[in-house]
Parts: sequence; C-alpha cells; structure tokens
Amino acid sequence: MLKCTLNGREVEVKEGTTIIEAFYQNKIDIAHYCWHPGLSIAGVCRLCMVEIEGNPRLQIACNTVVTEGMKVNNQSAKVKEAVKWGLDFHLINHPLDCPICDQAGECGLQDQYMKYGQYDSEMAEAKQKKHKVVDLGPRVVLDSERCILCSRCVRFTDEVSKTNELGIFNRGDRAEIGTFNGKPLNNKYSLNTVDICPVGALTSKDFRFRQRVWFLKDAETVCTGCSTGCNIKVHYNREGLFRVKPVYNAEVNGHWMCDEGRDVYKFVNKESRLLDARVVSGGKAEHMTAFEAAKRVGEKLKGAGKSVGLVLTGSYTVEEYEAIMSYFKTEVGTDRVFHWINNPESFESFDGLLLRGDRNPNTRGLVQALQKHGFSAQWKELTEALSTGSIQTLVVAGPENQVWFPDFKVKVAELAKATRLVWMTSGKSSALDELKGEVTLIPLKSYIEKSGTFVNHAGRAQSIRPVTSIVKGALSLTEVVSAFRGEALQATEVVVGRSENEIGRGRIHNEFTLSRGAW
Amino acid sequence: MAESKYLTEHYGKPEYQTLEGYKKLGGYQVLEKALKMQPQQIIDEVKASGLRGRGGAGFATGVKWGFLPNNGEPRYLLCNADESEPGTFKDRLMMERAPHQLIEGMIISAFAIKAKKAYIYIRGEYTGPAAILEKAIAEAKAAGYIGKNVLGSGFDMELDLYIGAGAYICGEETGMISSLEGLKGQPKLKPPFPAVQGYLRKPTIVNNVETLAAVTYVIRDGAAGFRKYGTEKSAGTKLFSISGNVNKPGTYEVPLGYKLMDLINIECGGLKPGRKLKAVVPGGSSAPVINAEECERATLDYECLAQMGTMLGSGAIIVIDDSNCMVDVLSTITHFYHHESCGQCTPCREGTGWMEKIVHGIVHGEGKPGDLDLLLKIADNMKGRTICALSDAAALPVLSFVTKFRDEFEYFIREKKSKVRGGQIYAQMHA
Repeated sequence: MLKCTLNGREVEVKEGTTIIEAFYQNKIDIAHYCWHPGLSIAGVCRLCMVEIEGNPRLQIACNTVVTEGMKVNNQSAKVKEAVKWGLDFHLINHPLDCPICDQAGECGLQDQYMKYGQYDSEMAEAKQKKHKVVDLGPRVVLDSERCILCSRCVRFTDEVSKTNELGIFNRGDRAEIGTFNGKPLNNKYSLNTVDICPVGALTSKDFRFRQRVWFLKDAETVCTGCSTGCNIKVHYNREGLFRVKPVYNAEVNGHWMCDEGRDVYKFVNKESRLLDARVVSGGKAEHMTAFEAAKRVGEKLKGAGKSVGLVLTGSYTVEEYEAIMSYFKTEVGTDRVFHWINNPESFESFDGLLLRGDRNPNTRGLVQALQKHGFSAQWKELTEALSTGSIQTLVVAGPENQVWFPDFKVKVAELAKATRLVWMTSGKSSALDELKGEVTLIPLKSYIEKSGTFVNHAGRAQSIRPVTSIVKGALSLTEVVSAFRGEALQATEVVVGRSENEIGRGRIHNEFTLSRGAW
Repeated sequence: MAESKYLTEHYGKPEYQTLEGYKKLGGYQVLEKALKMQPQQIIDEVKASGLRGRGGAGFATGVKWGFLPNNGEPRYLLCNADESEPGTFKDRLMMERAPHQLIEGMIISAFAIKAKKAYIYIRGEYTGPAAILEKAIAEAKAAGYIGKNVLGSGFDMELDLYIGAGAYICGEETGMISSLEGLKGQPKLKPPFPAVQGYLRKPTIVNNVETLAAVTYVIRDGAAGFRKYGTEKSAGTKLFSISGNVNKPGTYEVPLGYKLMDLINIECGGLKPGRKLKAVVPGGSSAPVINAEECERATLDYECLAQMGTMLGSGAIIVIDDSNCMVDVLSTITHFYHHESCGQCTPCREGTGWMEKIVHGIVHGEGKPGDLDLLLKIADNMKGRTICALSDAAALPVLSFVTKFRDEFEYFIREKKSKVRGGQIYAQMHA
C-alpha cells in the first residue's frame, strides 16, 4: 500500500493505482470523459487534470500512477481554470441541441458544465459542421456534431467486443467516428457503446425519442435473458419499462451486457402480456381473476395423482419452484414433472463474453429443485404419456419470454394433446388463444413484479425484488400454489418504497414526441 | 567565421550520391572503424560529443540512447525523415546529396544501440529523395554494408525505407511509430516512452536524419574533434534552412553559436534593397517569432534562443521583412496547424480551429475588439495540455505574434485593413 494525499486528505492505495482510480476509490469528484474503468487509457479528453506537488505542469490523472507520498490536488485555481477551458474546448463546436437530444438529463457535458463550467462561451465563430443521423448499424445512430471524440466506443469495439467496426476518420476538428463501408456496427454488444458514450452522439434506435430520461425512474435487478444473469438497471415509469442498462458486477458481467438482453423489458410491458385469466370449455370462454381460475384448477388437482403432469421452464425463481414442486409432490401426488429446455441444440453454447445459449435465468435453480424432490422424468416420457393418455391434466408454467423459445408454437400444439391443459405464463400468444378443448390460462407475474432468487450458470444466487406492477392481479407461482389450495393470498407484494403515485409523478410524456420514422 | 562545410563538405560533388563516389571520398571507412569498437564505446563517444537531436527538440542523443533497457529485447532504430516543420528543408538536401552519409550513420548507430532492424520513415511528398534513398540502400545491401554479418563483424542489420502519407503529425516520434505500425498516425500516450516501448511495443530510438549523419563524424573525429565547432552546450555544426525575404535563401551549414545576423547578411546576401528586417522565425513555424531588435542579439545555439523564449528547433529560419503583414503570416501559420492537428486531444483539436477562425476573421475585416485577448487565452490553455507538442507548436506562434506585433493586429481590427499592405487582398498581393 502507498500513502498519498488527495486534496489534502491522506489516503492509502494499492501499488500501481492511477490517480484517477485513487480519486474514484475515495469518492472524490474528478472531471473526465475518455477514461472508463473497463477500457484502456486514451488520455485524450485532457479533463482529469491534476496538480502534483513538485511538478510545474498539470498532469492527467488517468495516465499517472500514484507514488509514495504524492500530493495531488484537483481543486486548485490552476486546475479549475484548466478544466473549465478543457470543457469549453469540448463545447465550442458542440451543437448545444440539448432540447432535442436524447442524452439530455444524463449528459456528461451538461453535468460537467454545471460542476466545472458555468461561464459564457466566447466562441463567436461558426461551428464545425459534421454528419448527423449516421446509421452505424441495426441498433445505433451517430450524431457526429455532438461527438467529443473521446474514443470510448472505438476502444470498446477494439478491446471488448473485439469486432473493430468503429474508427475515427479524418483529422483535427474534422474527425468523425465512422464505420468502414459494408461493415456496420453490428455486434452482439453494440449498445454498450451507447451506454459509455458520455454525450448524445451515440443513441439507441430502440430508445431514442421515446422518453425524456427525467420522466423515468430506475431500479436494479437481474437480466433474465440468459443464464449469465447480468446485473441490470431497468428504467421505467407507470407506463412500463423503457430500457435496460448494465450495472457493474465484477463477478458476473463486468461493465457490460449484450444487446439481446436489452430486450428483456419488452415482454414485460402490458402490450405483450396475458392480462386476465380465462377458462375455455366446450368452446366457451369465461374470464375471471387469476386467483379464481387457479382456485378452480386446485380443486381438481388435489389428490389427482399421476394423471397430472407439470412442465416448467427455467424462467422462475428458486422460491417458486420449491412451492410448486412440493405442492405437486405431496398434495397432487405426482412425480411427473418435466423440464422444458429452449433450443436444446444451442443450449450449452457460450459466445465467450456474456451471452449463453441457455436463455433462462434460473435453469440451475430448476435442476437443483428437480433433484431435491427426486423428479427425474424425461421429456420423451411426457410425449409418450400424452399420446397414450396416461397424463390427462397438464399444468405448464412458462416460458416468460416466448421469443427465446423458438419451438414455442410446436410445443403448444404438442402439449395441447392433454385432455385438460392449464397454461400459466406472463406473455400472451395467439397459439394459446387459439387452443380448443378444455384450457385454463392464468396470467403470471414477470420478473419485474416479484421477489425471489435466480441461480446463474456458475451457481451464483442473485435476488430480485419487485420494481413496478404492470399487470394487476397476475400471480407468482408461489401465489398460484396458495390459490390452488384455496388459501387467501397474502398481501400482494408491493413495490418497496415505490408506491404507484411515486412512479413517474407528474408528466410522463414528452409532448413533442417525434415519430421514430424508418428506424 | 564563415560557413563551415563539415557534414556538407562534399555536397557539391554529384558523385557523392553514389556508393562508388561516396567511398572514393572517404565513405564507409568510419563504419569499419566503428565495427571494431564496443557498442558502449560508441554511445560514450556520442555522449561526450554533446551531439543534440537535430530534429527540433535538441535532446542529447547519447542520453536518449542510454534510456534503452539493458534486457536483450529486440530493439529498433528509426530515422525520422518526415521533415515537415514549415520552413525546414535541410534533411531533403542531405538525403538527395548524400544518401550514403545517412546510411553509414544509421548502421553505426544501430550497431551502437544493438538494433538489428532500422527504418527510414520519409514523408510522402519526398518522392525524389525516397527514390535516391531506395537506390542507395540497394547499393549498400549489395556491398555488404547492410544485411547479415556486416563487413564480417558478426553484426546483422536490416534497413528499410518507409514512405509516409504526408502528415505533419507523423514527424512526432510516437505518431511516426503509430504510422509505421500501420495505424492512424497519431501520437501515443507517454509514458511509456519509445525507448522503453516503441515500435511494436519494443524499445525504439527515433533520431533525425541530420543527427544520424552526424554520428559518423563524431566517431571519425572523436568527441573532441566534433566539439571543434559550436559551443559548450551546443556542439558541432548545424544545417540551417533559410527562407523568406533574403537574397540567397537555401540550406547553409554553420557552427552552432553563429550570429543570426551574420547568417542573414553574409551567407544569405542580406535583405532585398530598401527593405528592413521586421522579424525572424528561428526554428520552424512553431518557434516563437523574434523581432528585429532581438535578431541583433541572437546567436544560433540552443541556449541563446531558449533564453529569448524561442527555440532553435529544426533550424528553419524564416526571414520576414517590413513588406509583410504579420496578421497575414499568422493566418497562414494558424491554418497550417488547424489542418495538421491529429484531433486526438480536445484542446488541440478544437483550439487550432478556433484560433484559425479568429485570425482568419481579422484578415477578412471581421475582427472584434476582444479577439486578441481571446486568442492569447486560447493559446495559453492549449499549451502543455496535450499528448504531444503539436498543441504547443500551434499556440506559441499565436502568443508571440500577438504579443510582439500587437499594434499590427489592433490596427487590422480597428481599420479593417492591413497596416502594411493597406486594403489589398492578401491573395492578390502574392499572386
């Protein structure tokens, strides 16, 4: 350990620590754009200037390693003046189009201007013109005039995704980020470039112009897109979820997440949800609450024994598996519990960075629960049992996101051979709506509306908690089991510290929302 | 003392360009001597000679060589022939007239620092010198001066020519290394310095053409012999490129410490009749300008010019007489740096353009009262804030021009016309 002094405060840091890391570790504010803890050092924004005692020249904190006894200051008049000018250099050719910029409200330029700037610009000359609305790839759009050329996105594609699509073209204040002809920014991690872009230069086609960020709240949870279980932050208001961003976790996902994981907000929003319970019998559909429907199912299940089967996907929490498996084992009296695996041929695959072929957040939790209860039935036994009629009532839970179960429709048709089908899921589907025969559909809560534990591919347990409520009356599997038993529900889990009124109080709409055009 | 032909002794003889002619005039004899020495002996001799880098920074060559780690890692010698500082054309002359002088110096230097691979990085515009060098390298290879077991000494050495694409920034040593590596020619963040991690992340020494050529003379005459010319801290002779308003512009070799006015008046034949000296840019366009009064006192060595707040730089002397408008001159200089900034570091990328726009505005009669103070503030905040020295190179002329010739700038802003050339348009005057 080395001793050094930051703004007069003596601190200890590990050998090899850079000054900027020392500031971060000790939670002392320091201006910067190009430095990112997950990328190599570029040293180009020249904003993290510090004064080191004994050195007449200001140094950049990102590329200077702390030495024993070093006295560093980033609050001196000299540094403040340098940072102010550094910021002005960033802004003189910036279009200052904050009113129409998606980054407004979470922009590094705005933040640092409030902290270190607050001056009147002396730039009276014409600004440099550059390309706007550059289509970099399927998910990302570039506005070169807003870009401050910090090179974070370029370094990301060089060092993390290792796809090298981006480069800086031209020189001086004509320099622009760009792609080579015929090689767009099209990798599985491209949206990370939008996250790390400190300004509004790179925006997500999916999110741009949809919501002002100050109308959104955020909460941390776990991505359910695959068995990696990246830590994420969902941004939402009372209309639902709008986007997902990664949260740093050194042991799971580092700083990043994949583009497909960004879609985990889509299937929990109201437009893709199963909104109420339905009992279809003799061609007639009866609508009711999920609780009522589950209670009726429970009456028939009790003691029904081995004529009942249960199909589960890896979408649910450890607590839910425990509840439903013990119910089926002891109160229904069946051991015919089956594990529905999505795309079995790529189930074990891994892209080397984060994305796994197993598109379930809790396969490991499910497998552990099956073992614990001694359920060892194979899928082909289910197929046989359905054709011989030895299983008459089939209860299915899942999948939460049909997109990642390419065989969904095929499976629905296969499982519909059961005389009575009880399908519990959070997502709506035409395949389920079109089912003939005796079918009960029960809406389930999504991962965003319940608490519980997911065990990722490496056996790491990560807990989730309710963020917001999107479908009223939907149940978790634990609650379904209570309803099977006819027990009144415990108080529904409310969103801790986020009452309905609090979520997106005031205006939630950008009244000047533009059409997203062709994107 | 008049012009001293030391490095340029045989430059007037066309045969000096060929291997045969070069050898006849004593060429490659020093190499034979050097190969019999210990590499460390050569380094010590260069250190003792006080030879300083002739490219611009004037860093002691022997000290630079001493920064190489002693770990047996492969290392590289790069010759910086990307001569692009405006006003500089001495390396071109050397490569055209005496390609083998450079090659011999490079082989000796590579032997001294134990580099088995050396490159000459030449600017793209130098197609003529490049062709001459190519031919000379081929000759030297055929004669066994380059290749395996040089002259039976057991030393292996490869030398290749690399032609750049003509960017000023590739003359900065790490920018040059990036370019040589096939990357965009942008300076690299230091530390690590090239001597520790340079070309292909291996220890690398980058020296200017004139520096490497001078190494031969240090070995031939010994440190003491080399020091016969020059001053204590600025040893040897130096080639100066003189351009601008003199009767005989060109490249002249004089000992360091020579009087600037003597060079202008004796070697260069003085100014045009009836003209008065107004200013001199003594070390390439990035060196702060000095006025006529300072010129009287200036001697051409590292110390004197540093004392005057300017620098010897690459030895490019731009002479400006009283027919020139300093606003026009600065306009040209700011345009150059705006065009050449690599765009990596924000202060330089944005500042060079901003300064050009302001000066350009003044030249076009759109100057505003606060412009000069703003220019000084911008330049001040570009200085010492970036990865390489291009930002400083752009800021220093602005600071010195505006400070020393403020009256001309103020006149232009106030009267919307030049104090020197009146309302005439710059372009028409120089057509």
